[in-house]
Amino acid sequence: MVVFLKAGGQLREKLKPDVDHYTRKVKIDGEKTVAEILKDISLDPAYVALIHVDGKVKDLSYKPSDGQTITLQPPVSGG
Amino acid sequence: MANEFAGSGGLAGTTLRINLTTGEIKKYPTDRKLMREWFGGRGVVAKILYDEVPRDADPFGPENLFIMSAGVMSGCFIPAGAKIGFGSISPLTNGHGDSNMGGHLGPALKFAGYDLVIMSGIAPKPTYLYIDDGTVELRDATRYWGLGSLECEPAMKKDLGEDFEIATIGPAGENGIRFSCITHDFGRQAGRTGQGAVMGSKKLKAIAIRGTGSLKVHDLDKLTEHVTAIIQRTKAHPNMVPWQKYGTSFFVGWSNNNAVLPTRNFQTTYFEDAEAIDGPALVEKCLITHKACFGCWMNCGKYTKAVLPGKETVYLEGPEYETGALCGSNLGMTEINQVCYLNWLMDNVGMDTMSGGGVVAFGMECFQRGLITTDDLEGHTLNWGSVEDAEHFVDMIVHRRGIGEYFAGGTKRAAEKIGRGSEKFAMQVKGQEMSGYDGRYAPGMMLAYMTCDIGAHHNRAWTITIDMAEGQDTIEGRANVVIYMQHIRPLFDCWCICRLFWGELDIEPEEIVEALNYITWWNIDVAEALKTSDKIWNLVRCLYLERNQANGRTFDYPPARAWEDKIPSGPNAGKGLSWEQVEGMLDDYYACRGWDNNGNPSREVLHDLKLDFAADNLEKIGLLGKPLPNGIPAVRGQRYKAKAF
Repeated sequence: MVVFLKAGGQLREKLKPDVDHYTRKVKIDGEKTVAEILKDISLDPAYVALIHVDGKVKDLSYKPSDGQTITLQPPVSGG
Repeated sequence: MANEFAGSGGLAGTTLRINLTTGEIKKYPTDRKLMREWFGGRGVVAKILYDEVPRDADPFGPENLFIMSAGVMSGCFIPAGAKIGFGSISPLTNGHGDSNMGGHLGPALKFAGYDLVIMSGIAPKPTYLYIDDGTVELRDATRYWGLGSLECEPAMKKDLGEDFEIATIGPAGENGIRFSCITHDFGRQAGRTGQGAVMGSKKLKAIAIRGTGSLKVHDLDKLTEHVTAIIQRTKAHPNMVPWQKYGTSFFVGWSNNNAVLPTRNFQTTYFEDAEAIDGPALVEKCLITHKACFGCWMNCGKYTKAVLPGKETVYLEGPEYETGALCGSNLGMTEINQVCYLNWLMDNVGMDTMSGGGVVAFGMECFQRGLITTDDLEGHTLNWGSVEDAEHFVDMIVHRRGIGEYFAGGTKRAAEKIGRGSEKFAMQVKGQEMSGYDGRYAPGMMLAYMTCDIGAHHNRAWTITIDMAEGQDTIEGRANVVIYMQHIRPLFDCWCICRLFWGELDIEPEEIVEALNYITWWNIDVAEALKTSDKIWNLVRCLYLERNQANGRTFDYPPARAWEDKIPSGPNAGKGLSWEQVEGMLDDYYACRGWDNNGNPSREVLHDLKLDFAADNLEKIGLLGKPLPNGIPAVRGQRYKAKAF
């Protein structure tokens, strides 16, 4: 199945978007947690401050369904 | 607009000089050369303070100036062009102090026709500055004196009209508490460096502005096209939704997960109850509505309420991240309503929630260690996690009762009075309390605190993710990254626009400068902007040395906890900085800045920045840096290879 990861700010370069400026398409085999998906693409979850799916906060154990978009919020770069 | 001096290029046109002692108010055409050379905002404040305030002037005396500057971009068609800067000699650090706020006051000042307001003297009685376009008056504020900031603003709006923008101080500022803030728009603060205390010393309770004019820019068509493209792009930015929903409050959890969250006065970096004071808890339990500054659609402000048993429900804006950390985990608060309540309390008395949180935390650790007792606290305790104890202690400070007098000067002065080793955990640099990040296992962040020009503050440089990426055990490469940030980030405080909007939504420095060139007549590039920021940084350093009369290195050390105490718990347990790393970072930093190893700017670097007059002044007092053996770096500061803005 396919999920879309979206990130801006400090996370964007680490994500390496390939769909548009902010979005990367990731193919996964079967059901996986966000933590496992991030590990597959070598993105250290320490750089993710918040995970948002359909406007709701999720954690690293969340298992997205096919076609879902997961927004990864980077840390605030100092107020 | 009813002012005789027409502005252009983002400037409103008029500068006000007000002698509060005599009541004299003068209007001048804004000095365009000064604005161009010093970039408005913080830069112009720095130059005026350097030129006009005697080196031995008491920050609370009539010779200190209190300056408002709205820069060249505030009020223009630019995202979050909402800022206004305040500046004076800081009663907290005894050096240059500046602090800024969002909301609507900056644009209102510009729309009324003014770029700069420079105030001197001390008013004979409580006074407020009244500006209604061309009408400028000093008015009696006796009836407002004593009111909390959050009470004074609606009272003044009721008297003057809803369309006046109001900035106030609370009892803390009136009573000379050195970390007092200025509050506007029911929750926007110029919090740092004690600008509210300077207002109080001048008997200036408030500023009320109504501006109905407009601003002329250099090329409106190109500005409109450029900014419209930015707006369209950022509307789709993935960061926007979480930002709009939580503001910066969501960051408490991240800081905790990465073990940089100050907990119980920076004793440790991991707080077991962080989830209960994090952004999602705020939104779920306390949020009333979202709130934005002028010209911003990011609406990071959260209007909330705090409901606590036995207390009246209170309404406030916040807490944002810094307050969440420093009035939350740093005080051991375990529920978000507690944090909101303390946020409201400090806002209303007019105390910076960052320094205020740091000061109360320091008091709590003194109590924990038996350095102060219930005998010192009018029979009260001062325990971690107790809102009642914190509230009583704040009241003692604000009214300078008993031991509250010690703490009214901030943690550094309190530690000097309390002694018995408390200096080690007075978490400040140059007298200003640290922001909401523990730098013991984030060396760049510690260096940023150590070298910040206004005392420990994160807004000049923030390096946590760089520390993580580069390795938290090494100090290599941090100095140049910190310097780059110390140059680029304060540019926003010069131009008076919000850094958050730009920093979080992938706007490049080149795009900001392009917008600046459509607003102004300056025609600059990023390199020139950075060099001017370097110039401002060095002038502020020179002023600090001239006022405090010792080698700069003397003032750049953190408290001993930074290297003596390893982190005791959490994911980073056992980690920490060594003394050698602290010294090594300073050595690197000074070399990268073109300063000598005493932390004093050299003539070479000051000449390169056209600050020869400051070099002459340092030489007269024996604090001019020695020439560097290999000369000065051609460019000070380097942008981190990954985006870190």
